[in-house]
Amino acid sequence: MLFRFHNLIISALFLLVSQLSADDTQAREIFVEAILAEGSEQTALVESLSTTASTLVPDFLEAWKRGDIFLLEADGSAAPTPLLEVEPEQEGGTPTYFRVIDGEEMAAGSFDPAALEMARPSRKTRRVFTMTIDLLALSTPNVQERADAALKLGLKRDDDILPKLILLRETETEPSVIEALNEGIAVSMLSHGTKEGQMDAIQLLRDENSIAGLDALKNLRHDLNDGLATHPFSEEELAKLTASIASIESYISWTDFVGTCFRGLSLGAVLLIVALGLAITFGLMGVINMAHGEMIAVGAYSAYISQTVFYSLFSESTFALETYFLFAIPFSFLTAALCGFILERTVIQFLYKRPLESLLATWGVSLILQQGFRLIFGAANRQVRSPSWLLGNVEIFDITFGFNRIFVIGFAILIVFGTWFLMAKTPMGLSIRAVMQDPQMAAAMGIRINRVRMMTFAFGSGLAGLAGVFLSQIGSVGSNLGQSYIVDSFMVVVAGGVGNIVGTVISALGIGVTDQALQPLLGPVMGRICVLVAIILFLQWKPGGLFPSKSRSLD
Amino acid sequence: MIKFSETQRSLAGIIAVTFFLVVAMPALNLFGSEGSFLHISDYQLNLWGKYLCYAVVAVSLNLLWGYTGLLCLGQGLFFALGGYAFGMHLMLMIGEQGAYKSALPDFMVFLGYKELPAHWIPFKSLSFSLLAVLFVPGIVAGVFGFLAFRARIKGVYFAIITQALTYAACLLFFQNSFTFGGNNGFTDFKTVLGNEIFAPSTQRALFFISAVYLSLCLFLIWWLTKTKFGKIQRAIRDSENRVRFSGYSTTTYKLIIFVVAAIMAGIAGALYVPQVGIINPEEMRPSKSLEIVVWVAVGGRATILGPVIGAIFVNWLKSYSTYHYPEYWLIILGALFVLVVLFMPNGIVGLPEQLKGFYRKHRFRFQQKKEAAAEA
Amino acid sequence: MKFLRGVRAGAILSAGALLGLQAQAEEDDTVKVGILHSLSGTMAISETSLRDVLLFAIDEINASGGVLGKQIEPVVVDGASDWPLFAEKSKQLLLQDKVAAVFGCWTSVSRKSVLPVFEEYNGLLFYPVQYEGEEQSPNIFYTAEAVNQQAIPAVDFLLEEGREKFYLIGTDYVYPQTTNLVLLEYLLSKGVPLRNIGGGLRRDADGEVISAGTYTPFGHTDYQQIMADIKKFAASGDAAVINTINGDSNVAFFKEYAAAGLTAEEVPVVSFSLSEDEFRSLPAEDLVGQLGCWTYFMSLDTPENEEFVANFQEWLATADVDGIEREGRVTCSPMVLSYDGVYLWKAAVEKAGTFDVDSVVKALESGISFDGPGGTVTTQENHHLTKNVYIGETLPSGQFEVIESFDEVYGEPFLKGTFSEE
Repeated sequence: MLFRFHNLIISALFLLVSQLSADDTQAREIFVEAILAEGSEQTALVESLSTTASTLVPDFLEAWKRGDIFLLEADGSAAPTPLLEVEPEQEGGTPTYFRVIDGEEMAAGSFDPAALEMARPSRKTRRVFTMTIDLLALSTPNVQERADAALKLGLKRDDDILPKLILLRETETEPSVIEALNEGIAVSMLSHGTKEGQMDAIQLLRDENSIAGLDALKNLRHDLNDGLATHPFSEEELAKLTASIASIESYISWTDFVGTCFRGLSLGAVLLIVALGLAITFGLMGVINMAHGEMIAVGAYSAYISQTVFYSLFSESTFALETYFLFAIPFSFLTAALCGFILERTVIQFLYKRPLESLLATWGVSLILQQGFRLIFGAANRQVRSPSWLLGNVEIFDITFGFNRIFVIGFAILIVFGTWFLMAKTPMGLSIRAVMQDPQMAAAMGIRINRVRMMTFAFGSGLAGLAGVFLSQIGSVGSNLGQSYIVDSFMVVVAGGVGNIVGTVISALGIGVTDQALQPLLGPVMGRICVLVAIILFLQWKPGGLFPSKSRSLD
Repeated sequence: MIKFSETQRSLAGIIAVTFFLVVAMPALNLFGSEGSFLHISDYQLNLWGKYLCYAVVAVSLNLLWGYTGLLCLGQGLFFALGGYAFGMHLMLMIGEQGAYKSALPDFMVFLGYKELPAHWIPFKSLSFSLLAVLFVPGIVAGVFGFLAFRARIKGVYFAIITQALTYAACLLFFQNSFTFGGNNGFTDFKTVLGNEIFAPSTQRALFFISAVYLSLCLFLIWWLTKTKFGKIQRAIRDSENRVRFSGYSTTTYKLIIFVVAAIMAGIAGALYVPQVGIINPEEMRPSKSLEIVVWVAVGGRATILGPVIGAIFVNWLKSYSTYHYPEYWLIILGALFVLVVLFMPNGIVGLPEQLKGFYRKHRFRFQQKKEAAAEA
Repeated sequence: MKFLRGVRAGAILSAGALLGLQAQAEEDDTVKVGILHSLSGTMAISETSLRDVLLFAIDEINASGGVLGKQIEPVVVDGASDWPLFAEKSKQLLLQDKVAAVFGCWTSVSRKSVLPVFEEYNGLLFYPVQYEGEEQSPNIFYTAEAVNQQAIPAVDFLLEEGREKFYLIGTDYVYPQTTNLVLLEYLLSKGVPLRNIGGGLRRDADGEVISAGTYTPFGHTDYQQIMADIKKFAASGDAAVINTINGDSNVAFFKEYAAAGLTAEEVPVVSFSLSEDEFRSLPAEDLVGQLGCWTYFMSLDTPENEEFVANFQEWLATADVDGIEREGRVTCSPMVLSYDGVYLWKAAVEKAGTFDVDSVVKALESGISFDGPGGTVTTQENHHLTKNVYIGETLPSGQFEVIESFDEVYGEPFLKGTFSEE
């Protein structure tokens, strides 16, 4: 699995050695010259690569940077021959070599691979690599790449690049690229343009709500204040500049606000998934389940196991990566439920009358499980990879919505709905509620309370397992995974009102949003502390939580 | 056959423990010849000094949980607060012997502080620091307890919010910007009350003070159980509402006990710091406080010596197994807790009673069987 | 007859005390050294590997005749990620086991916790993990990277690559805090304006900066807000992130980084706490192209290194150590610096001709060299090492591709206040 990405690079390099066109031939000649050249000559040659229309350049530069280019010393005074090394597809095989000048494969045995010397670009040269690649990208057919490159080059505020960008804007037809070009040119103009150019740029950046341009605007204002600017500004012009900065900043605070709401929701959803199982085992059943965190870890390790199984069944294919997660969801639920079942039968069933002592016993179980994970899976954390449909994001108005975050919100809604359905609409749910409210009476009515408790605890643990699957997507899977969530889970359940699922939902979302809203103001740690203190104070005010369970009995 | 009352037996036990800790152990350390089986090395004595501090915390938790029914999952916080208060004084007593030869504590120097923050200055005075050891945990417990008991938070809720409290404090103290040394906490102390901190004589004195202090705490609890106060305390544990309906302000009683237990733990923390040489926010982690609960449960809750035995036994086991079975000590400890809860509800101290019970039951059954056989 | 319950309790106590008293037999043809690492708790992930490599080094030395004709007997104890326990265990090693030297500690706090013990009982500790400097105990040898052997070369590299803005993020403990303060001074001295340093500054009453960067607690898992901040910061281009986050949190950090659509091309991250060993538990695919800076990489192409890696793997396959992981093991800088430490100690003992701590320290201070897997290391008078520094780019395999190296960098622990604005 470690070699998957490497293979991508290798296949790109195979393209490099197989294609031959006029542009490529020219590019190859420059490559060879550049590899053999030194100092500023080398830098200039690399820069000149941007004028060729060859698609090989980025791959070539990448290979050079990675140290895949080697020199084969020639006899006598002839210049050495640059070779490209391609790693074998299987581990342990021998690499193959291709001549850079024409892409011919070197026959094995025609030279001694041990005598090859790695050709390294000088540090100065490496610096122009990215710029060269970006300049080349200005002429690629890929719209997104073109737009990105245009903006990036504009942000460099380089004297030499600016005219190229302006030239390009005249011929460009794609609106998104034109937009990027405009933004980039405007940023460059702020440093190098005429007074009119600067004023236009200030206006344009303001209209575009350009976050990328904000720094350049601020720098300009700094320079003006320090008297370093090329053109002095009048009061009025300065006011315009300040207004432009303020406008962009207010746009940023707006995106921050919406972004914070979204991030708060997603954190709330994580807390909700994590706490929902506890809302059942602790809230409904009254078991202070300190091993809840370890049930989450069981779920996460199950995700790891299903990934391993899929990889061994279907090799390390994309199919395995894309589908294992769908299998991991029910699998984790079942393993965690099974663990919960065993825990209930062996320990907890004896402790229903002694809730505070269930805390001690389950804490002991939690220690055993933590060390057990370490003995079984090793002390090192395990990697669980995300399927591609959980990677990536959409960006709307400069706010990033990660797919995994959208997924967790949907996942939380689904789980809550499922739990509600089970509790409110099924005969099983009816007996669960009956047993939790009055076990003796329920038993008298013919409900097998032992079985119901067993099932309920297993269900609650299963929900914890589901939380584990999801957590494996946003963090690491290790023996301490559960510990980081245990206090939070208890707080969510207690603040929501023990025994009330709606309360759990509301308190999880409330805590999530508050936490994210406080973070930018107070920093990540103080934000969390404030949330904890707020919960403690909230409980002074409403000791039963948001939705206290109503009862006439005392004690 | 002379029958002793429960209180008399407890008193005898306390006296035995006191003699052992206050007289026998220091004597074995001082006069036992090196290498002999009875000799207690300086290292062992120091280790036991640490255990005794833990034992006091366990005793203080027992006062809360065992005798009043208030399960506090944040007792480690009060222990740490006492430790920090005294630690601040020790830090300032390093003076210019630190790595930077500066009057400021080292961690402040490398975080760029130019002068001592205002709240540190009074800790230059020993008497102020000693008062802080009493008052900081006391006030925190007082304010928190007042709020919690007034709102009639009890049982599981109380346990969980005390856990949240210590967790919040732990996060707070972990911050380097909180001026208490962050994750590193306080360390590298040089002197305590003018004596070189690592000198065997200093450590011996600290052990002696800890032992005396533990004995005092035990006597206090023994005395409390005889008083009316102690009776009300236990009544609250068994049925708080009845006590309240009988006209007692249970809130006040609980608050007093909570504050006393916090101060007791705080002093233990202050004694712990010079013996161990470090105090940092790890002590406030919720898991540390849970460990304290476990000591009490293992030893036997609501008994006078149970917590002492529990604390010393579990910590000795921890020292022993991290040395001999580092891979398995978590499993050993975890299994111990589960077994104690399931099979030894009265802890180690209650074990003989329990066994006697088994024996009687068994004998009874055996006799029944024999009788049945005889009849047949 | 009814026994006094209390007396019985007292008896249990005494029995416990006696159990604790263990006689230790001493043998003449061996010399004991202590290995003090966390084998359980949160730090076990990293520190167990150091125990393994230390045992390997000791076996290697024993096989070739030991030190001064004596076989080395390792005493392994578990610090259990519990800092006061580290102090207790070091006392135990020095007083009960009377070890000649101790190799151990990972976190700064564990080192700070044992430091007074080593100074009081005149022990000798070799400390192998990159740290914040600002310390120089007569009883500790810091084989670790000092800030100028890791953070500063890395920043130099980024500056040369044309990066202009730097976002500082770390876990809230002393190493990131101090390193970032040093880096702040360094960046300012290189002409980077204060507004180009991200993550926030904290000032004291006089306006002096006392903390730079954003800090999260250990085990932090939610980096959404911080990533949004980094994205804003980097929008204007040429930004880099300097990452001193410790351990597990890195997974959450880099997953969030990927989810925010950031790439190593746009905003490279240079991490100081991530070595090959950490990549065993991190998704290296998410970090391809990100930078690391250490004084050793497993991918170093030298005969010494190849031999070291091969021998270590071979040793792992057969080593008789409880719970040792044999599969998928790698080597990394803290491991190699631990390994170097054992050999430097051996060389110093042989030079001094005795195991006596004072003489060994004197020998070490006089400058001893060892050709280790990461190149030649030489002890300095200030108890640090001169060694080579490498900058590497992360590969999908969890290895580093070396892209820059600095030879024989002198280890300098006290850096704060040594840079002035140009």
